[in-house]
Amino acid sequence: MKVYALALGLMASAASIQAAGAETLALYNWGDYINPEILAGFTAETGIEVTLDTYSSNEEMLAKIQAGATGYDIVFPSVHMNDIMLKLGLLEKTDINLSPGFAAIDPANLRSKEDPDSAYCLPYAWGTVGIFYNEKVTGPITGWADYFAAAEKGAKVTLLDDMREVVAVGLIMTGKSVNSTDPADLQGAVDYLLSQKSKVAAFTYDSMSMLTSGDIGAAHFFVGGNVFFTQTPDVKYVIPVEGATMYQENICVLKTAPNKAAAKAFMEFYLRPEIAALNVAQQFNGTANVPARDLVPDFIKQNPTINVPAETLTRLQIFEDLGAGLKLYDRAWNTIRTAQ
Amino acid sequence: MRQSTFLAALLAPATLFLGVFFLGPLLIIAVFSLLTPGLYGGVEWSFYHQNYGRIFGWADGIMEIYEPVYLQILLRSLGFAALTVGLCLVICYPVAFWVARLPPRARLFCLFLVTLPFFSSLIVRLYAWLLILKPSGLLNQTLLATGLIQTPLEILYTQSAVVLGLVYVMVPFMFLPLYSAIDNLDRSMVEASMDLGANRVQTFTKVVLPQTLPGIIGGAVIVFIPSVGNFIVPDVLGGAKGLMVGNLVEQQFLSARNWPFGAALAMIVMGVVLATLLYASARARSAAHA
Repeated sequence: MKVYALALGLMASAASIQAAGAETLALYNWGDYINPEILAGFTAETGIEVTLDTYSSNEEMLAKIQAGATGYDIVFPSVHMNDIMLKLGLLEKTDINLSPGFAAIDPANLRSKEDPDSAYCLPYAWGTVGIFYNEKVTGPITGWADYFAAAEKGAKVTLLDDMREVVAVGLIMTGKSVNSTDPADLQGAVDYLLSQKSKVAAFTYDSMSMLTSGDIGAAHFFVGGNVFFTQTPDVKYVIPVEGATMYQENICVLKTAPNKAAAKAFMEFYLRPEIAALNVAQQFNGTANVPARDLVPDFIKQNPTINVPAETLTRLQIFEDLGAGLKLYDRAWNTIRTAQ
Repeated sequence: MRQSTFLAALLAPATLFLGVFFLGPLLIIAVFSLLTPGLYGGVEWSFYHQNYGRIFGWADGIMEIYEPVYLQILLRSLGFAALTVGLCLVICYPVAFWVARLPPRARLFCLFLVTLPFFSSLIVRLYAWLLILKPSGLLNQTLLATGLIQTPLEILYTQSAVVLGLVYVMVPFMFLPLYSAIDNLDRSMVEASMDLGANRVQTFTKVVLPQTLPGIIGGAVIVFIPSVGNFIVPDVLGGAKGLMVGNLVEQQFLSARNWPFGAALAMIVMGVVLATLLYASARARSAAHA
């Protein structure tokens, strides 16, 4: 009986400690997609302990949240997934657009169709998907035509192991929208990709180390890959002339978030230009925070493939939610990967 | 009576565990495979047989289209798995004989070596294979340095790499049942066979093989089942070009957000595996009676 009372007492005091101090914030983000200094800085300033779990695709994150994973406060969906999550009622309204620092956000980055005013989510980061190439192996590459031509001449090239990104290459090369749900457009993209498939060594995300070691000549990858090639002048990144995709992730608070106040505090922390710039300096991608664009390191500011000029922006497309049309892409992707 | 109550009490935890964590999920998959896919993942609770129709050929052709590609992928996976079983058997059978004849301490050490790979993560070991097989990797550097080849071998991102990876992953699972069967081999029967005038081939086919057949069948089943469904090896070493049915299932649950179709594919794999198991156990029983 005594032991029982003691245990109860211990439990009670443990609970009160948790209630009194030690506020926490649980982030669920893509792997390697936030500068750890930001998390440390946030904890140092607010005393809120931050935990970070990672995922490797929007769908993985959605599947876990749909399956009832709780305990996460903030997720970082791509814009089309942000829209899906809003339609499914998974996100919490934060009124982040009423916060004083919100004026720093470029209206062009308010891309969510379901949340055009950013009442729910805050633009986090954006970037392009293009081609990394070793100029000594492939010669200069300006776009997909050069990429496949280099492959024809014997350079090993890889595409991403990603359904939408690979089908997008076919759609771009046949002059269609990367969000088309017209079966004829998809068929055209599949035909184009099948005609090129024999030249593609692999569909993989492991291409950056293979490019470093010289095992491949060119790779389809995210602009963030530049992190690996600051000391290798031969390896270059290009946003294809024919057109390319871009991505943007937003910071969203889950409806099931246990620490909504801490989550809002984190969003406001991230609104500060110096914090957004800190992320760019480590991630090598774009920010929606206009004043932050002047605070990033010079070599990033002067790199037109990272700090993208307006005329390049016009040839970028962003993925949208396809609804039932996703089936067309699934079938296309199976056909592309199965063909011998 | 008391004994059987005692036995039931002993078995209860295992039964309960399997009932909750094996039969439960299995039932969910079976039910999901007959439901309508939700637009954004999950399921809608209405009956829908076209998940199977897409695979076997009775899809409506509007919302769902029958494509032979799924059966092709399944057949390819079965082929890869069968090849893996064959290669594992060829590698492990002689080695198991050799190990069984070692002195006890050396034998224990060999068994330890066979289980050693399990001490590190499969993903890490497959990435190590990627480093070995790539054009500038260890294998090609060694072969180039010794002058055996002039240009690097193209192994990585081919079907050979997938089979190599599967064999590497599965070898211990073949070795252990084989070893235990061969270790229990009645050597006096082998001597008797030789004494009575059978040649080596006859002794092997009439005495050794029947006695070790349960081990072969056991190993083959344990290697075949996980090989059919493996999706990590084709992803990492095959460059996602040689799609296997495991990749297809994974894709349905993630990027395609079509849980019922993924469940239907999983049910078919399970059906094939179950048929294999029943066949193997029938064979093992007749082998035991022979």
